[in-house]
Amino acid sequence: MISQATRRITGFLAYQLDPPLVVLLLFSLTMFSAVLVVPLMVLLLRPAMSISLDVVRGLLSYPYVAWPPLGEWIIFVDRGDHTLIIVRFKDMGIILNTIMIAFSVTVIATIVGVLVALVTARYEFPGRSLLRIMALVPLLYTPFVNAFVAYKIFGDNGLLYHALLKLGMGYTIEVTYIAGVIVAQAMMFWPIVYLNTLAALLQIDPSLEEQAENMGARGFRLFRTVTLPLSLPGIAAGSGLVFIFSMEDLAAPIAFKVDRVVSREIVKAIVGSRDVAFLSIEVIVLAGLLLITALLWLTVVKQYVSLRQYAMVVRGGRWKPRVAKPGPLMYAIIYLVVFPIVIFSMLPQLGVIVYAFSESWVHVLPSGFTLDHFRELVRDPSVVNGLRNSLVYSTTATILIIIISTTIAYVASRVRFAGVGALDLLATSPLAIPGLSIALGLVILYSLGPFKDSLVDPFRNPAVLITLAYAIRKGPFTTRAVYAGLQQVHQALEEAGMNLGASRSRVLFTIVLPLIGLNVMAGAIVSFVYCMTEVSTSIVLGALNPEQAPVTYVIYEYVTAGYGGGAFIHLAAAIVTMTMALQILAITISNYILRFRYAFLGV
Amino acid sequence: MAEVRLEGVSKYFGRFKALDGISFTVSPGEIFTLLGPSGCGKTTTLRVIAGFEIPEEGRVYIDGVDVTFKKPYERNTAMVFQNYALWPHMTVFDNIAYGLKVRGYSREEIRRRVNWALELLGLKGLENRYPLQLSGGQQQRVALARAIVVEPKVLLFDEPLSNLDAKLRVRVREEIVSLQRKLRITTIYVTHDQEEAMSISDRIAVMDRGRIIQVGTPWEIYSNPANLFVATFMGRSNVLEGVVVSRESDNLYVVDVRGLRIYGVSRDKLEKGDKVKVVIRNEDAELLEEDRRSPNVLEGRVVRTSLIGFAIQVRLLLDNGETINVYLKNKTSISEEERLRVYVSPEDVKVYKALETVEE
Repeated sequence: MISQATRRITGFLAYQLDPPLVVLLLFSLTMFSAVLVVPLMVLLLRPAMSISLDVVRGLLSYPYVAWPPLGEWIIFVDRGDHTLIIVRFKDMGIILNTIMIAFSVTVIATIVGVLVALVTARYEFPGRSLLRIMALVPLLYTPFVNAFVAYKIFGDNGLLYHALLKLGMGYTIEVTYIAGVIVAQAMMFWPIVYLNTLAALLQIDPSLEEQAENMGARGFRLFRTVTLPLSLPGIAAGSGLVFIFSMEDLAAPIAFKVDRVVSREIVKAIVGSRDVAFLSIEVIVLAGLLLITALLWLTVVKQYVSLRQYAMVVRGGRWKPRVAKPGPLMYAIIYLVVFPIVIFSMLPQLGVIVYAFSESWVHVLPSGFTLDHFRELVRDPSVVNGLRNSLVYSTTATILIIIISTTIAYVASRVRFAGVGALDLLATSPLAIPGLSIALGLVILYSLGPFKDSLVDPFRNPAVLITLAYAIRKGPFTTRAVYAGLQQVHQALEEAGMNLGASRSRVLFTIVLPLIGLNVMAGAIVSFVYCMTEVSTSIVLGALNPEQAPVTYVIYEYVTAGYGGGAFIHLAAAIVTMTMALQILAITISNYILRFRYAFLGV
Repeated sequence: MAEVRLEGVSKYFGRFKALDGISFTVSPGEIFTLLGPSGCGKTTTLRVIAGFEIPEEGRVYIDGVDVTFKKPYERNTAMVFQNYALWPHMTVFDNIAYGLKVRGYSREEIRRRVNWALELLGLKGLENRYPLQLSGGQQQRVALARAIVVEPKVLLFDEPLSNLDAKLRVRVREEIVSLQRKLRITTIYVTHDQEEAMSISDRIAVMDRGRIIQVGTPWEIYSNPANLFVATFMGRSNVLEGVVVSRESDNLYVVDVRGLRIYGVSRDKLEKGDKVKVVIRNEDAELLEEDRRSPNVLEGRVVRTSLIGFAIQVRLLLDNGETINVYLKNKTSISEEERLRVYVSPEDVKVYKALETVEE
């Protein structure tokens, strides 16, 4: 009887998965284990082996925790004819700074994001489509340079300072240091909350709100009792992501000269090291803390970020959304609050373009239009080398992504057995897991024991690990697009094929793939572009061997070197402008294919 | 021609028992219908036979061979899906040819066979169209052609007519029957429509909550339903509650329904005083013109009439307070408030033991 039961189970599995599919699945799972699961486990377990009371005590004192905080919140400088107000915030040490920044950024981003989402989802007003497009501009990935522009705008001696000085009101402002990081990150990240909230709002069945209105609920009461609770999952997903992205961000702390945050501490530790032994236990603990925060968030919102949920959003447009004409107060909010915020948030990206095309931007206004920086790109050997490396890594990674993502999406949508839910989570989680943690985990794991001096030892040859990290980190874009496509292919189409004698693999190649080929392509394009702009693992692993570093590492070097507006920043801006154009192209193509405007949102 | 046999098949979805010990045998060449309300397990049974589900218990045999663990593509069944499942990226020709290509036939042989199927189903001239360019009826025929062209051992139909409009449905079901008579392929057909089941089947299995309740020819099932469920599922009927007064003969009983004496037949062994359910089909009542005193005459006041085409449906409030619906064919004008007398023959009154709890 036991063999009977076994046969039933194996028979069931054999129906679900035939040998070629099993091979593909095992390959994909091996990749996930090797590049994500095991390195992260090593990252979490390694400190556990050697942590001591001294280390804990160290982590609770300076420079990790500074209590009472150092420095001043705000400084007033009397300069005779005017007063300079410097908003900077106090230094509370590496750990508290990171948490405080992430928390403040999340609060601001959530308020702004929800406001803009509500306005664009529920009101009809002139300029609405424009607003929706403008709100996406801050999401164009322009590694490091946009933060640098933000510093140029309201940092020391910035445009804001000069503008207020010109107005002659007797005072002027600089937002610098930690306060500057908060403002810059809030500008960069609020659209993530906006997109997730908008998606949630568009998914609410209008009849639910109409029913509430029908029973007498109006205005804010309607929002508080029906709309808000129903869109809360989307808001939570977006806010949590902002928190994680803020903790992981390197660009704003570099631009605003904030040394004491977790992300910079990790990179600082790696950049100088020749061997894994140089990594201090404290740094590993910090990367572990980043990871744990992300994992906590994932467990809370996991059902809202699953492939299933995303597929629902993509299908979208099942009903005509509710839109209203705004009243006078709402008009005022839209044109006096929402529009200015959105335009303000676009400034860093616009500034990047200005840098790319101007001869110099040392003073208030840039001077001299030029294309020289773009010409310089093809002449500068390190840029050419970096671009070539990035193209090789990204292309290889995209090929891997197509194989892995298609397999995972197919299995997650078609195969029924325990563990498919975990597969779904595994497939989408890299979007939220800090790249710095992954990078550090990879460095530790693959420089030890049997891997030392092998092809994958990052201190010898980071190229392999960079490529694999790209494939895992940027794969979810493809996985989601393919999964969404599979949801639209009725399962009976495959069953009809098998029923007529075709094996599952044959059905996959003759029926499924022809039907979802465009989805695979759309996803792969987006994944490719995000590989090209990947920052965290590129910098950490690239720093181990600059010869093999990708272009984002070159940008990082140029931006840190070009401090103060030297020629390097213009060169970096030129590179980033090109990648920005690439992103717009990829997103346009994939949105055209998927008929969906959020194809590239973080989660 | 193949025989299909299921032995004690059970299937669970999580903790839900979708099939509960299903056994039946489909004779070679017959049309066998699985009939039941939605959720009764009929489609699951079909999918077990096709190999899309592997049962937790029991065995499936096709042509005497145990196929319980065979994969769908090793069984040589051919299914016509509810939504036809035509591949939108292939032409009509490629759709029909798919199974033949998989089987490795030569190019000419494929062409010959596909043409045969196109001709048989009146699809000539449409072979280069794509499924979305076809009408619902044409799509349905392509699905049928795709199934028969591979000469399957068993043809499986999963509610194939549910996406067609009422008129077309009747025509296509006649076509299916005549095609099956011509090809003599063993056919298993799933539907929830009892009229459809009765009109096309050689035999019907009525299913409820994962079990087979009754298997028989359409006439057997219609005229002698095994239990209250089958009796009420086949056709429209009235269910009245009563108590057995006496047993008249072998299976003829007298039942008291709130003071009214009704003669009826029962498959159950009943005792005096048993609580019972009395089932009277709407179409089994006939109008009594003359003033005849006899058993099984139901008298009452017309509450409502509605024309349903071939008859008038009359809702009658009986003198004992019960309300029944009857179809009356011969009288064109019946007005509300009018008093009427109808007669139901004792053989048409089915009596079932009333069960307090669900059986077993």
